[in-house]
Amino acid sequence: MSPRLLALFLAAAGAAYSADHEFDRVVSAVEKHYGVKRTHIPLMGLANFVVKVSHPAGTSGFKLAVFEDLPSPSEPDALADLDRFMDEICTGGLHPMVVTRSRPAGESTYILTGEVGKSTRILIATFEPHEATVIEATVNIETLMKMIGSPETAHSLFQDKHGDDDGGR
Amino acid sequence: MKITAVLLITALMPLAAQEIKIPASLEKLAAKADETVDVTLDASLLKLAGRFLSDKDSDTSATKKILAGLQSVTVRSYQFSGEGQYDPADLEEIRAQVKAPQWSRIVGVRSKKDRETVDVYFKDGGNGNLGGIVVLCAEPTELTIVSVVGTIDPAQLASLGGQFGIPKFDFEIGSIGWRREGK
Repeated sequence: MSPRLLALFLAAAGAAYSADHEFDRVVSAVEKHYGVKRTHIPLMGLANFVVKVSHPAGTSGFKLAVFEDLPSPSEPDALADLDRFMDEICTGGLHPMVVTRSRPAGESTYILTGEVGKSTRILIATFEPHEATVIEATVNIETLMKMIGSPETAHSLFQDKHGDDDGGR
Repeated sequence: MKITAVLLITALMPLAAQEIKIPASLEKLAAKADETVDVTLDASLLKLAGRFLSDKDSDTSATKKILAGLQSVTVRSYQFSGEGQYDPADLEEIRAQVKAPQWSRIVGVRSKKDRETVDVYFKDGGNGNLGGIVVLCAEPTELTIVSVVGTIDPAQLASLGGQFGIPKFDFEIGSIGWRREGK
């Protein structure tokens, strides 16, 4: 293997490791912060394989972590606390791109992105009362633009891929 | 002289591309608002997004043209459950940043009936282009701030609405109105 090829391989492997690391880091942070464990989703590997092969809705891979039975948020600072928490974990290669919050519904959605390219790795974290979802996906730029346009529906795009919200539990 | 010119241009470039700074007092409104939307798209994201969008589809092709000149898009939208949740004076900090000669207020609407104000500011980008747009829309229970920095062809202005989290603009001859989806 030539040094140039080796360097390219190591760079690609490093980027892949770094991206995986971001998802795991966010999932661990949620688990630690809320004292919960992610819910096991059966057939997740199969769903990911299907997505990688068929690229539905411009997606070429995704990871999903669902957290249930989150402790009740303590108003009135719950959303501010959540913002601080997300600020703390949004370090390194992740930048917040879109944030939506609904106080009556108790919902917040954060769409974070790393480096943008033909395929872009994004991380969507959705917090609802007693439930949180963290999704990492590789999407094409058209899908990314759609998500910016309607961020509140971004997470449902991926949750539908493994049936529905309850499908995997 | 060449070195001086290069240094001068380099020094002035950030000023030309300067985006509007959202005051901390407005950022804090998220804690009071019922519904908030924050969109922050920087130059690197917009440039790369434009590069990889397809030319084949008419919609994405139009978006690609717009993206080519954009440097940043910032949207802050707050909806409150009641009146008096924000101080209209908070907007003065933004208005102070969009002053002549660089900026012109193109539209200023004051509706006594709806108690709504809409201000649209354009920045001259030279060569008949716009260098930036700032929209401030204030209602008793709603506040929207849109800042777009970059070279924008006025002909593409209408296409900006509804994209990148920017609410839809409603263009009429000689004026620009403000229209929200669902209204």
